[in-house]
Order: sequence, then C-alpha cells, then structure tokens
Amino acid sequence: MSEDLLRIDDLHVSFSTRRGLVEAVRGVTLTVAPGEMLGLVGESGSGKSVTGFATTRLLDAAGRVIGGRILFRGQDVTKLGGDDLRQLQGAAMSMIFQNPRAALNPIRAIGLQIADAILTHKRISRDAARAEALELLRAVQIRDPETRMNAYPHELSGGMCQRVMIAIAISCNPALLIADEPTTGLDVTTQKVVMDLLADIAAARGMATILITHDLGLAARYCRRIAVMERGRIVEEADPKTLFSAPQHAYTRRLVAASPTATSRIEDLVTEEERERHAAVVSKPRLEPAHGTPPLLEVRKLAKRFDQGAAAVADFSMTMAGGESVGLVGESGSGKSTTSRMICRLIDPSEGDIVFDGQSIGRVASRDFHRSRFRKDIQMVFQDPNESLNPRFTAFDCIAHPLLRLDGMRAGEALRQRVEECAERVGLPHDLLPRFPHQLSGGQKARVGIARAIACRPRLLVLDEPTAALDVSVQAVVLQLLDRLRRENDIALLFVSHDLNVVRMLCDRTIVLRNGGIVEQGESRALFDNPKTDYTRELVEAIPHIESGKVLAAAL
Amino acid sequence: MLSYILRRIAATLPVMAIVALFVFSLLYIAPGDPAVVIAGDQASPEDVERIRQSLGLDRPFLIQFGSWVWRILHGDLGTSIFTNLPVSTMIGQRLGPTLSLMMVTLLLTIVIAVPLGVVAAWKAGSLIDRVIMGFAVFGFSLPVFVVGYMLAYIFALELEWLPVQGYTPLAQGFWPWLENLILPAVALGCVYIALIARITRATMLEVLQQDYIRTAKAKGLGQGGILFVHALKNAAVPIVTVIGIGIALLIGGAVVTESVFAIPGLGRLTIDAILRRDYPVIQGIVLLFSFVYVLVNLMIDVIYTLVDPRIRY
Repeated sequence: MSEDLLRIDDLHVSFSTRRGLVEAVRGVTLTVAPGEMLGLVGESGSGKSVTGFATTRLLDAAGRVIGGRILFRGQDVTKLGGDDLRQLQGAAMSMIFQNPRAALNPIRAIGLQIADAILTHKRISRDAARAEALELLRAVQIRDPETRMNAYPHELSGGMCQRVMIAIAISCNPALLIADEPTTGLDVTTQKVVMDLLADIAAARGMATILITHDLGLAARYCRRIAVMERGRIVEEADPKTLFSAPQHAYTRRLVAASPTATSRIEDLVTEEERERHAAVVSKPRLEPAHGTPPLLEVRKLAKRFDQGAAAVADFSMTMAGGESVGLVGESGSGKSTTSRMICRLIDPSEGDIVFDGQSIGRVASRDFHRSRFRKDIQMVFQDPNESLNPRFTAFDCIAHPLLRLDGMRAGEALRQRVEECAERVGLPHDLLPRFPHQLSGGQKARVGIARAIACRPRLLVLDEPTAALDVSVQAVVLQLLDRLRRENDIALLFVSHDLNVVRMLCDRTIVLRNGGIVEQGESRALFDNPKTDYTRELVEAIPHIESGKVLAAAL
Repeated sequence: MLSYILRRIAATLPVMAIVALFVFSLLYIAPGDPAVVIAGDQASPEDVERIRQSLGLDRPFLIQFGSWVWRILHGDLGTSIFTNLPVSTMIGQRLGPTLSLMMVTLLLTIVIAVPLGVVAAWKAGSLIDRVIMGFAVFGFSLPVFVVGYMLAYIFALELEWLPVQGYTPLAQGFWPWLENLILPAVALGCVYIALIARITRATMLEVLQQDYIRTAKAKGLGQGGILFVHALKNAAVPIVTVIGIGIALLIGGAVVTESVFAIPGLGRLTIDAILRRDYPVIQGIVLLFSFVYVLVNLMIDVIYTLVDPRIRY
C-alpha cells in the first residue's frame, strides 16, 4: 500500500555489548496506516521497544540499525541527520515512555517542558508557547491547569505525569505517536483513564499510534491490529479476536494462555506438558485445620501514621489460618504495602496489635524483631527482584544468608544441601547458584527471592507485588510455584497486589483497601464476580480483559 | 524560603560556638603556660606576669572565654602581640588581596572547568574527552608552587606578558588589579579545574542516561538545549557541592600561592603570625576562615533549593 504512514522493511538492529554484537531486532516488517492504532506485543527482550526507538531515532549509543529501512511518509528515517531529523522528532513523530515520572525533567516546571517542545518546532513567542502549553494541559484533562503549569513532576501523580508526557507528545500534532508501555506501573484504574484519553486524542486528531506493551489484554482493548514479537521477529499479526480465539504461532498460544483472565485458574496458565507435573499437587487436598485451632495470624485494629500526616492505615483487622492465602488489593496509596510491612514487622504500627501463633508481636520494635523467634516464621518476598537482591551476593549466598542468621546453621555441607534443596523447591537449577543477580533473568531472580524467603521454612509468607515486574509467562510459573508451596508446605500467603486477576486465582479470600481502610472483604471469587461496593467494581472493571477486548473490537 | 534561611543560620550558631571554643582553647592546647608562650623565649618573669594580667589569664577559664566572646561579638578581636595593632585592622588590610585572589580563582575555575566537563561527558570516549581528562590528571598531580613558578617563569620572565609578583588594589584600576591576579589564580585554580571538570563529567554522564534526556531528544531539542538547559542543571547539585568544598580548600591553597607570588594577603599574615606565635592574630584568622566556611556552606544550601525544587526543608 502506498498510503502507509510508516513502513518498516526488514529492520535489523544490533547492540554492541561486552560480549560482542547482540541482534535485538532481526527482520521486522510492519506497516502503520494513518490514524491507525497498532499493538506491538511481546515480552521483555522481544525487541518491541527497540523497534520503537529505532523508528524515532532514539536508540542509545550502543544500538545501530544494521539493515532494512524505516519509511515514514516515504522518507527513510534511518538515513536522516541533523536538522531533517530534528524536524521529525517531536513534530511529525513523537514518543511517550514507560515510567512517566522519570521521563520528565525533575527540576523543570511542567509548563516549561511542554513549551520547550513547542518552541523547538514553531516560531512563536514564549508567551504564545505558554498559552499553547496551557491549552494542551486542558486537552489532557489535567485539573486546575493554570496552577499545574508551575508544578514539578514530583508534585504530580504517576498518571498525571503520563498525561503531561502525552501533552508534550501531541504538542506539535504529530502524525505518528509511539507509546512504549505507557501505563506499566500505573494502577489499573489510572491505566484505564490514561489509555482512554490517549485513544480519544488519537482518534480526534487522526494520529496513528503504535502501542508497545507486554499486556495482551491492554492491546486487545485498544487496538484493531496486533503484532506479536518474539526474539526480534514478528511471529504473528492479526486482529485481537483472531489472535485470542485462534492463535497460530506457538509463542502466541503460550502468551495467550499465560495472560490471566477473569475465569482462568492457575493451572490454566501454562501449556499442556507443564500442567501434568502440577496436577498431582493440585489434586492433593489441603489439610483443614482441626476445629478450635487458633488462627495463625490475628491483626487487631492496626493503624499507621507517618509523621504528622493523615493515617496511612487505620483500623485494619484480619485473621489468617495456617496454609490460607489472602489477597490484599487496592490502588497505590491505599496502604496495602504499609500494612504488609507492619505485619512482617519491618515497620512499627502506631496503634493496634499483631498476634502470631497466639503471641503478641506488634509491640516488639521492628529493629529488634530479627532477634524474635518468629522472624523465621514470617518472611517476605519483595516487589522488584532486581532491586531486592544484593548485587554482590550470589544466588547461593542470598539463600544461605537467612539460614546462617536465623537458623543458626554454619557454612559447610549441611548448609549447601539446605540451599540446594530450597533451590530445587523453587525450580532453580543448581548450576545457577554461583551466579550474581545481574547474571540471572527476571524469573530466575524472582525464584531466588522466593527461595530465600522459604529457606527457614516460614509459616507465613508476605508477598508484595511479587510478579509486578515479571513477564506474563514468568508470572504464570511463579504463581504456580507459590500455589504449590502453599499446598505442599502449608505456608500461609498474604499476597499484596494491584493485579486482581492474579489475586482471584491465587487467594481464597480477598481484602480490598482504600485510603488505609478496608472497603470490602470476602471469598475471592464471590467478591470479584459480585462486588458490593462501587470502588471494588471500578477496580474489577478497569482490568483489560481479553473478553472485553473482543467486544470492543467487534463494536468498532 | 526566608524561614528556611533563618533556620539554616540558626543551625550554624552551635557550629560557630564550637569553633570559637576551639579557637580560644588554642592558647591552652599549646604546651606550657600561655603567658610564657606568648611572651616568647627571651621574656623576663615580669614580662610574663604583665602579659598574664593584661590577658586576664589569672581568671577562671570560662570567664575568660565569656569575656573573649563578648568582645568578639562587639567586633574586637584583640590586639596583636607583635605589632600592637588591633587584629581586626590587620585582617582588614589583608582581606582585599585574598578575597580578590579567591574570587578570580573561583570564577576562572567555574568558567573553564564546567564547560570542559560538559564537553567531555557529551563526547565521552572520544579523543576530546581523553585530552580533557588527561589535562585533569595533570592538574591534579602538580602542586600549586610548582605550577606557580612555572607560570611565572614562562609568562612573566620569558614572555613578559604579565607581572611576576605583587598586588595592585582594585581602586587603582581593573586591569592592573586583574593583571597581577591572573597567574596566581591559574596556579591556584589548576587543581580545582581538574577536580570540578572531573565531577562535572561524571555527573553529566549519569544525567545524560536519564529518561528525561531521552524525552528531550524525542521533543527534537538541539544538543545545546539538552546539555545546558536539561542536563547541566540536573547535574548542578554535586557540582555546586564540590565547588563549595573547593572554596574551603582554596583558603589553604591561598596561603601557599600568596607566598609564591608575594601577594600581601591573609595567607602571608597567617604564616607570619604562626612564625611569631602571635596568638590573637592566629585566633582572629582561624575564626574568620571558619566563619567564611560556614557562610559558604549556607550559600550552597540555599543554591540547592534554587536549583532543585525537590529540596525543601
């Protein structure tokens, strides 16, 4: 087709690294028509972002286009230089990024940052640019735009920062916008608002958009055509309906299977052969605690106030039986992480008590809790496996550390066996144990984090968004692992997450938090299928399900 | 902002008090009877007794300290034992040359070092970067007096472009004043140019990898705009910090430089006072330098808040 806005022809991009050239994109061919929204979906390392950066010419110094063409309005972008390139960047073609707060200059007022973009491409006065910037803030529906003009990024929420980024991107009415994971890291409700806004703006201005995302559901909801990338190649391209109902490529099938939906169960998340191994465990009935057994954990009227501010958590009470799994959900700022950290005894509650196994532990100062005999019973898995592992500890050291500190073990054969046993339980091959975190993949790091947490055979595992930083296929495996550990070892799980689909699968019960208080709680499936409060309903409805994508795509 | 500055000033008061106590104790920390120390080796017992009474050394320590502080707060730094002139007058006479030297050095340093660091970071790994960093290592390694004599030899004796030594007050004209300060400022500034260029490069390298720099590129901004508007201001906090530390180090460097270039500044006065064991003068100078240092730190804290809106106390 000659009227394609963008035509990528057999694109090859390689990065020079210490280990030599690594080819990140190997032969991508794509077309985008004017005004179209195309989804580019794949897991980390699939080359989807690199394709985007090559198109907008924002590859970092190590990356180079080594083959193919990127034709934008018939002009080869890869050969542009100097002023021609700058006339393209931000004017005809613009880009928004993941992590909007980091993408904005932290010490420049947002009004100026928008005006910068305008002044680069238009010969108008500063006052006129400022007026345009104000109009753009209105267009991206920022409340009180006059005052916000002088605000700095740290004074805005993540969703607001992304709106500002959108305002910058559309400031010169580009023909093509590339959105690289624009809502990753935002709450589901914020995600929906930002994506709706983006879709509306694109439609109103006739702007073509490439939505780069790892979230199939999100792409399905907003795009009429989706290209799936794996290891630098496009393996399948179809409309969402076809893609989900009849995926052709094996990778697409795996990706579709691993994406949690409103009805999927944990055992559905993987392909047939992996399911086999899991089946034996799933069928094993859970031991019902004998009648009259005291609860494993009882939290009474817990509250936390950070200096002067309003209570981050107030009047939070819950109980958990041994081997039970409870989900704690809510938007960011709802107090779920604070609550989980208090229960883990990493921070001190301002009020209330925590009773574990019949003993009060809420009064033990958090900095002394490592000496408590319950420290090994309550362990935590942290959100980002990249950040929460000591970069100078090998996987072995990391798993051995709690054994040395809490279990009184000494370095030697017995320790080695225990560490290897832990690694086996989380499915971490022994030959990876001497590696440092940077030599492990995201999924492997997550396993190290879990192996470390279960090393001392805890009875309660508190997990703070353990899969938020992982690809869906890795998430599927980690979720299965957690479910298996719970069934096999009777470990109780307190699962903190904003991903309701995941909570629904993994947790028997769910507690919904908002502004530090419990809004609703109950048996997970019942709660999600029939939410009693508007807030829970909003949360549930904001999840981009593949099903709703079908409906939307059909309606278009 | 004003309340922040006032609070910062209030926070410097304990520091100044401790410095004052230390400076006052100098006399007592020095071995032997202060009066004997002050009177010197050739003094007669009567001289010692006279000094003891004139300084009030026969009274209790805290009372002495109290009255000393009281006098200082009224601008009376005491009288030099050697010249019998008020210490404040002596310092006042020497303040001009030293302040001039420090200001010219500082200005020179910033004007040269920051752009060098920015260019080195921008062209990281290139020949320009290596040349600049090579010079930086060179600047680090050479002591002030070596650079000073070398510069004086080349530019004053051989080329005769600039005067060898001396100082002309600003009142006698801008160029005569500056002419005398160029060589000492370059000699003194060498180390700081090297230091600040390196810090600027390192900080800029880090900033240039941030996401918002990519955003700036995505907007189509020019190289200059990216480097100086978006990157440099973000790199400013560490650079300003090092410049501040540099000012403190300059005080020490000025002492040596003034000797080399025969500038009648505080550095020379310090050396003379130490050699003559002129304790009131030493006390006055140390107190002044401490005060300047506290003031510089205060200024840096204020600059932080101007540069970075996230810093709020």
